[in-house]
Order: sequence, then structure tokens, then C-alpha cells
Amino acid sequence: MPTRDSLQLTGGMLQMGARVLLVPGFIIAIAIMLKGYADIGDGFSAGVIAALVVIVQGLAFGAEELERIAVARLAPLLGFIGLGLAYALAFVPVLFGYPILTHFPRMNEHAEHFGPLEFITPVLFDVAVFLVVYGFCVGAMMAVSRAEVRHQRLIRRARQRAGSRGGDAV
Amino acid sequence: MNAAMMLLVISFAAPLLVLVAGTINARLVPHVAVLATALAAVVVGWSFWQPDAAIRWTWAEVYGLHFELRLDGLARLYALLAIGIGFLVVAYASRYMELHLHHGDRPASDHIRFFFFLLLFMAAMVGLVMAQDLILIFVFWDLTAIASFFLIGFDQHEEDSRSSAMMALVVTGVTAVLVLVGAMLLHHDYGTWSLPAIIEQGGIQDSAPWALLLIAIGALAKSAQVPLHFWLPRAMAAPTPVSAYLHSAAMVAAGVFLIGRFYPLMQQVDWLLDVFLVIGFASMLVGGILALTRNVLKQVLAYSTISQYGYVVFMFGMGGDYGIKGASFYVLAHAIVKSALFLTAGAVTEATGKKTLADIGGLRQTMPMLALGSGMAAAGLVALPLTIGFFKDELFFARAAQLGAPYMVMAVAGAALTFAYIFRFWTHIFLGREISPSQPISTWLVWPVVVLGLLTVLGGIWPAPFTHIAEAAASVSTNSPQKLHVEYVIAPIVENLMAISTWVFGFGIYWTRRRWWRVALGIAHLGEQLGPAHWYYRGLNGLNHLSDSIHSFEVRDLRSRVASILLPAGILVGLAVLVTPNANSFEIGPIQQSDFTLVIMLIAAVVSGLVVMTLRDHLRLAIGLSSVGYSLAGVYAFMSAPNVTLVAIVVETILSMFLIGMMVLMPRTILRFETEADSDRRSISRDAVIATVAGLLVFFVSWGALSRTSWNTEIIDSQTVLTPAVHGKNIVTVILADFRGFDTMGEITVITITLIGIISLLRSGRLR
Amino acid sequence: MTLVFSLAIAALFAVGAFLMLRRDLIRLIAGMIMIGNAANLFIMASALRRGRAAVLPGNGDEMADPLVQALVLTAIVISFATAAMALVIVYRVYTSHYSMDLTELSAAEEEQSERDEPESGDLVEQDIEEDIEEMPDDAKVGVLA
Repeated sequence: MPTRDSLQLTGGMLQMGARVLLVPGFIIAIAIMLKGYADIGDGFSAGVIAALVVIVQGLAFGAEELERIAVARLAPLLGFIGLGLAYALAFVPVLFGYPILTHFPRMNEHAEHFGPLEFITPVLFDVAVFLVVYGFCVGAMMAVSRAEVRHQRLIRRARQRAGSRGGDAV
Repeated sequence: MNAAMMLLVISFAAPLLVLVAGTINARLVPHVAVLATALAAVVVGWSFWQPDAAIRWTWAEVYGLHFELRLDGLARLYALLAIGIGFLVVAYASRYMELHLHHGDRPASDHIRFFFFLLLFMAAMVGLVMAQDLILIFVFWDLTAIASFFLIGFDQHEEDSRSSAMMALVVTGVTAVLVLVGAMLLHHDYGTWSLPAIIEQGGIQDSAPWALLLIAIGALAKSAQVPLHFWLPRAMAAPTPVSAYLHSAAMVAAGVFLIGRFYPLMQQVDWLLDVFLVIGFASMLVGGILALTRNVLKQVLAYSTISQYGYVVFMFGMGGDYGIKGASFYVLAHAIVKSALFLTAGAVTEATGKKTLADIGGLRQTMPMLALGSGMAAAGLVALPLTIGFFKDELFFARAAQLGAPYMVMAVAGAALTFAYIFRFWTHIFLGREISPSQPISTWLVWPVVVLGLLTVLGGIWPAPFTHIAEAAASVSTNSPQKLHVEYVIAPIVENLMAISTWVFGFGIYWTRRRWWRVALGIAHLGEQLGPAHWYYRGLNGLNHLSDSIHSFEVRDLRSRVASILLPAGILVGLAVLVTPNANSFEIGPIQQSDFTLVIMLIAAVVSGLVVMTLRDHLRLAIGLSSVGYSLAGVYAFMSAPNVTLVAIVVETILSMFLIGMMVLMPRTILRFETEADSDRRSISRDAVIATVAGLLVFFVSWGALSRTSWNTEIIDSQTVLTPAVHGKNIVTVILADFRGFDTMGEITVITITLIGIISLLRSGRLR
Repeated sequence: MTLVFSLAIAALFAVGAFLMLRRDLIRLIAGMIMIGNAANLFIMASALRRGRAAVLPGNGDEMADPLVQALVLTAIVISFATAAMALVIVYRVYTSHYSMDLTELSAAEEEQSERDEPESGDLVEQDIEEDIEEMPDDAKVGVLA
């Protein structure tokens, strides 16, 4: 049975850990995504990792904290942007007579690169996947936590009502 | 900018201009529409002095699709009809719609909708007649159907008008799909979407006759030919300008246009021409007889249209030089006279407030100009000399005479019916004594009729311009140059004799109408009871009932629904296992020492799965589920799938958080109750038995399948080779983003839709 | 190994089928997730080759079949999304049809709303109240049938 103090202690550690992890977590996620073409990882895993980092903030600091973090609040929007990006990558080539979802530079053509990062459209497509997956995970969790906050408020009010009614009866 | 481009741009700019004008002031809309169509009419007139012009843009080259348009003789004829008659109709409508909306107490903003769709229809027609690419033809074809739906259903507050619009859309829309199927069959046979290229290849290949039949069905339905004619009389629920435009010059003309466009191919299929003969003659007769029995002005004209397009289809069926040239000429002549008569009907109704022949009479006194204009048009339709109509019947008779006596009889019978009902129509309105008083009407409702009447007479005196247009169209339809020359021959030649006998018979039919009146009404009544319209309604009702009953079965309760999916699936899989030769094909597969960890993880997954089954508390259930997931992630790790492992672990984490979050959210009483309700011993043992059977089935299926995986690793090898070429190193990621990128796109679409669903379901407030 | 995989797949599927047959909607979703797991495992097991991770450049050893990995990767995310969606639907079904816990709440809320301005967006309570009005009497006392 943890005491009140020990709970506060672990809560404090969790908060500190979460805050410390926030920025490196994002960096790792983005690195996984951008390097995905050459190494382990891709938009899917990067998306869920980034989402996990954000959700841990929510766990440590409460739902209100999530509303303050812009990348969490706007997660669904980011998801829609990602989907739009993917569609653009798929259908803009069609306008120029290429098949759907043609990537550039084409096969065996030279690709510019900056360190390990190559400037090729598949990386953009992975960014789109990243945004959609991130937007989904965070957006869904935010929706649940908002519903929960509302629910708690309801219960609190009901208790107050019940308490005051009980007082009247006695 | 060539003529084709000009025409296309102006036609499609017109509806947009209407929208723009509508945002400024709705009262501006009719004027803008008149101006825009006048401009388009000038351009189409100018285009006759221009050489043939083409537009050809490539899009989606891998599918062989081109935006290919060509302004040729056939396109000029129908573009002239669509725009020329369109201009007169829009001019007429600019006044008529004001009165129409005023009668219905409707806002001026309805103007925008009306003129937008009218001009959109016109633009779609212009696109359709110039289109040379099969897919493009279909697109414009469907666009006309959609625009006509909104036009026919313009009086959307009236149930009749809505159901008429729906009927027109169902009949022409469903058959439009046949056109698409036909187009795809042609593409399959000839390997190109371009119609000129197909015609150039020549010859009729494998399934081409069937493709052409499908296209012909679409065309015949659009031209309101028996037995798919029933939508046209119903579509008269539309405001008069719409009827005048769609059902004389545009929508029904699109049907015969399509036949004209594909005629170079169709004329090579003899039985298809016979189909045209039969359907054309049936439409001539049915339309003619029913037109005689109708009392409502626009209904008479609607059945008349069915019958007149029956002529055209009949002529396509007869074929030959005269037949094709005659068909083109006929469409031109008919569009002029029939739109004049429709506009007359509208003007008469506007003046007297009456809609039936019985209530109207003797209007020559009060509306002399209208009587004159529509008289000329009516004379044209019944083919009196000195009108353009005389030559249309002349060509018709000439071709029938070439083919022999039976055709001559059919031709005279059809033409005599036309004479009878048009004679009845015009004389009842304008001659005799006045029945209902009429009010003076705007000259804008009269002058388009007079112009069309004058055109009718002009064509009778100086037919050369009209024959030039028709011969250019016929040249395209037959794919060989044609010459058409018509003149009056005052001699007892067979065409003249047929014409005279038509008038005599026609007048005889009219004169003796009291004798056969009841018989004709009986036929009409029988047709309503047993005809295709009746089957249309029965079919529609049947489909409704079917969908209702499926729906009510499906939504009865969740378990029956799950069972209704799982049980048949299980039976099908079981049957498949039974019929597959399975003997000796199960293999145990080697287990190497390195697989030891893998086996351990699998055992962990199975054990935690079995534990999940026994858990009663929901929170523990969530934890048990995630432990299964983590074990499987371990399995993937030992199968050297690092990408999958990474995703699996993180997804499992978030899923458990989500599950726990949802459990907290759910009312506790419900969770407790659900758990208790499920601990009934009998139901547990029953479900366990079913689950065991399902598990055994899956065991055999998966063991059988995994024992015989494909030996062909070509795809994997090629993907491995191609990965460096597309700048990647991680093959899995490259597959996701590139090789099978389209799948990934579908998946992220599903994810986004799910997100929208979750957010909207969890928002406060009731779902509405 | 084939046999081992098939046994594991069959066991997971059977557990999923059992859970899906329960009347508890949450167990139904658990069953969905379980059957999804079985399917993913099946796809992974159907790899044409096993070997080291499919990342270039190779060192000559045989590489694992990358195609099944790509398929499973997306399948995992998709099945997560659909499971989440299903859970939310279940929540919605419960709260709008059999909300017994919330019965008291809404009664209290009714009085509350008479005094307070109704908070914008907080319509759930009123909805639930309406639902309860529409419910048959035995449902009000909490019998779910």
C-alpha cells in the first residue's frame, strides 16, 4: 500500500521524466521517420512513438496540460494535413501524365542528399503517414480524456446535489 | 484558339457566369444567360465557316486517356441544335421563368439554379457532341443526365416533379452505365479509347457487337424509345422551356446523336440495324397512337417526340445513303418545329391558364402571331410543301421506297399518325370557338416561336443551308463523304404519291376519330396497366422491400448479425477444406535450435490469450489483451521484423492506455452487470464448444495453407533488387511508401475516417 | 515450425471467437482484437523466407520476406484504429441506452440546470434525461434485456 508521500514522489518523478523525455522523444521519432528509408523504422513507428511521448505528458500532468501543448491540441488537424499531403503526392503526378503515386526522382535518377537525409518524395509520403498516425493516436486519446473530464464534472455535481438534498431531508 | 476550343470555353463559361451574376443580383441572371447563349450562338454560327478543329490533351497517359475533342460535321449539327435552339429557349425562359416563379411565390434566387443547370446542360451537350474519347463521351453523357435531373425536378416542392426527375435519372442513368460497359468492351477489343482510331482499325471484333448493342440501349433510352419511353411524358412536369429544350433539341437528340457517332461501327452489324428497325417502328406507332389520345398539350407533344425519334431510329435501321442523310436532316428539321410547338404550348398555357386541349380553343383571334408561327411549325411537322418538313419526309419515303412495299406501308402509317395528332393539336388550339378567355402575354413568349416558324418555311424554300449541315453530319456517320440535294419534283413520283396518301390517311384518321377513340384509349389504358412504366414501379417497390427486409433482419440484434456473418463464413471455409485435396500435404516443418525463443514467445502469447478468456474484470481484460500483444511483438522480433516489432510494441501501449481510458469512462454498473450476465454456466460451455470448433477449423486451414506457401519468390527478389534503385535501403519501408504505396494511402484514409468517427462520437451531445 | 505456428494461430482465433460470442460488448471487441492478432500472426507465418532483417546492404545471408512485414505493419495500425472506433461506439451505445449510473446524475442535473445557465456543449445530461423518459419502466430500474 503506497503512502500519500510515496505517491507524490512517484508522481513527481513521472512528471520530471515526462518533461525530460518530451523533446528527445520527438527528435527520436522524427529521426526514425526520416532515416526510415535507410534504416529500421518508418512513418508508422515514428507516428506512434511521437504520440506516446505526448500521451505520457497527459498522464503525468493531467488532461489540462495536453490542451496547452499545441501539437497535442491540433493533432487531428495535423492528421488531416497528413492525409492531404498523401493525396497530393498521389494525384499531382496524374495531372502531369504519370501514374498515380509516382515518386520523384524516378528510378535510378540521381537524388540530392544532405547527410543521410535524401530529398525524395517517398520521404514526404512517410511524413504524411507519420502525421496521420500521430494525429489519430493523440486525437483519439484527447477525445477520450475530454469525455472523461466532462464525466468527472458530472459526477462531482451529482454528489453535491445528493449531499445538499440529504442535508435537507435530515 | 480554334473553333472547337472557343465553343467549349464559351459553353462552360456560361453557367459559371450565371453563378457569378447570381451572387451580385439574382434578377441579373436571365439577362446574363441570354447574352451568354447569344454569344455562343454567334460562335457556333461562325464555326460553320471554319475548318474542322480538334483539341487533344493527354492526361493519365498510362491509362491511354486523352481529352480529345473534335468539331466535325456531326458535332456542328448537334452543337447548332443545342446552342441555337438553346438561345431561343433561354430568351423565352427569361420572361417565362419570371412568371413561373411569380405564380409559385418563389424567390428570385431560383433563377440562378434554373439557368445554371440549363446552361450546364447546354455545355454538356456541346462537350458530348465533340468528344472523341470513349470515356469523355461517357462523362459528358452522364453530365447531361445529371443536369436534366435538376431541370426536370426544378419544381422541387411538387412530389410529381421530384418523382419524374428521379424516373428520368434512373432510366437514363442506369442505361448510361451500359454505355460505359460498352465503351470498356470496345477498349478491350481495339486497345484504344479513341473512337476515330477504332473506326480506322475497321472491322468488327469479338465482343464489339455486344458493346455496340449496350451503347445503342443507352442511346435508345435517352431518345425515349419503346420500351424505355415512359420517362419522357412524365418529365413534362418540368417548366415549359425545359421541356422545349430537353425534349426537342437536346436530351432526346443526344440519343440519336450517339447512334450517329457510333454508326460507322454499327452499320456493320446487320442484326443491330434490325433492332433499330423494330424499335423505331414500335416507337412510331406507340407514340403516334398515344399522342392521339392525350388531352394535355405537353403530353401530346411528348408522345409526338417519342414517335418522331422513332422515325429517326427507323431511318438509321434502314440505313443506306438516304437513310443516314435523312436521319440527320430529320433531326435538324424536327428540333426546329418541335421546340416551336413546345414553346407554343407554354405560351398558350400562360395566356389562358389552361393545360388541356378541351379547355382551349379559337385563339387565332387573340394571338394571331403565335397562331402563325406555330402554324408554320405544325405544317413543317406534318410535312406540307414549302416547309423544311416536306423534305424530311421526302427522304424518309425515298429510302422506304428503295427497300420495298412493307417499309413503304410502315412509313406512311407512321407519317399519317403524325398528321392526325398534329392537325388535332393545332386546330383545337387556334380554330373553332373561343373556350377560355386569354390575357395578353409578353412578346418574349411569342417571337422565339415566330423565328422558329420562319426558319421552318425558309428551309422549305431554300433548303441548301440545311442540307449542307445534314450532309456533313451524315459524312461523319457513314465515314464517307456524302452529298445531299433536295428539290421539289412536280410529277407523280413515288415519294410524292406517298406524301399525298399520308395527308389523306392522316386527315381520315382525324375525321373518323369518334369511331376509334375508345379503342385507342383502351390501348393506352392497357399500356399503363401492363406497360414498362408499370414494371418500373414494381421493380422499384420490389427493391425497396428487399432492402427493407435485409435491413430489418440485419439490425435485429448484434449476436444474430455476428452469427449471420461468422456462420456462413465458417461453413464456406469448411467446405473449401473438404473439397481441397489435402492428403499428405500437411508438413510439420523443421524446428531449428534458433527457433527456441520464437516458440517460447508463441507459447507466452497463447497462454496469455487463454488467461484473457477467464478474466472477469474488465480492467484485467485490458491488461491481458496487451500482454498477448506484447508477446506477439516478441514473436515478430524473433522473426527478424524490427519495423513490425517497433510498431507493435508502441501500438500495444497506446491501445492499452486507450482501453483503460475507456473503461474508466464507462459507467461502472454497466461493466459489472455485463460481467455478471456473462457468467451463466450453460452459455459459457456452449460458446466454448463453438469456439473450439472454430479453432479447429482455423487450425486445419492455416496448417494446410502454411504447408504450401508459394515457391515463387520472384516478387520479393525483384523488390530487393529495385530497392536501391529507388533510393532506399529498408525494403519494408520502401514497400510501404513506394511499391505498395497505394495500399498505404487507403490505410491512412481509413485511419483518418476512424479519427473523425471517434471525435464526433465522443463529443458531448446526442448524435443526430 | 509450421505446425507450431498453426497451433498458435488456431488457439488465438479460438479465444477470439469465444470472446466474440459473449454478450458483453467489450468482450466482443476484445475478441475482434484477438482474431486480428491471429490474422497478423498468420500473415507473418506465411513468409516465403525467413532470415535476417530486410535492410540493405545485405551480408550474403538470406533476408526475411519483407512483403509480409509491410502487410502486417499496416494491419496492426489499422486494427488498432478499428478497435478504438469500436470501443467508442460501444461507449456511446451504453451511455445512450442503458445509462444507469447516469440516472441519478441526470435527475440532479435537471435541478441544477434550473438554477444555472446550461453550459454550452454539455448536452449529454439532457439527452440522457430524454432517453430515460423514453425508456420502459423496467429498463429504468436497471434491467438490461
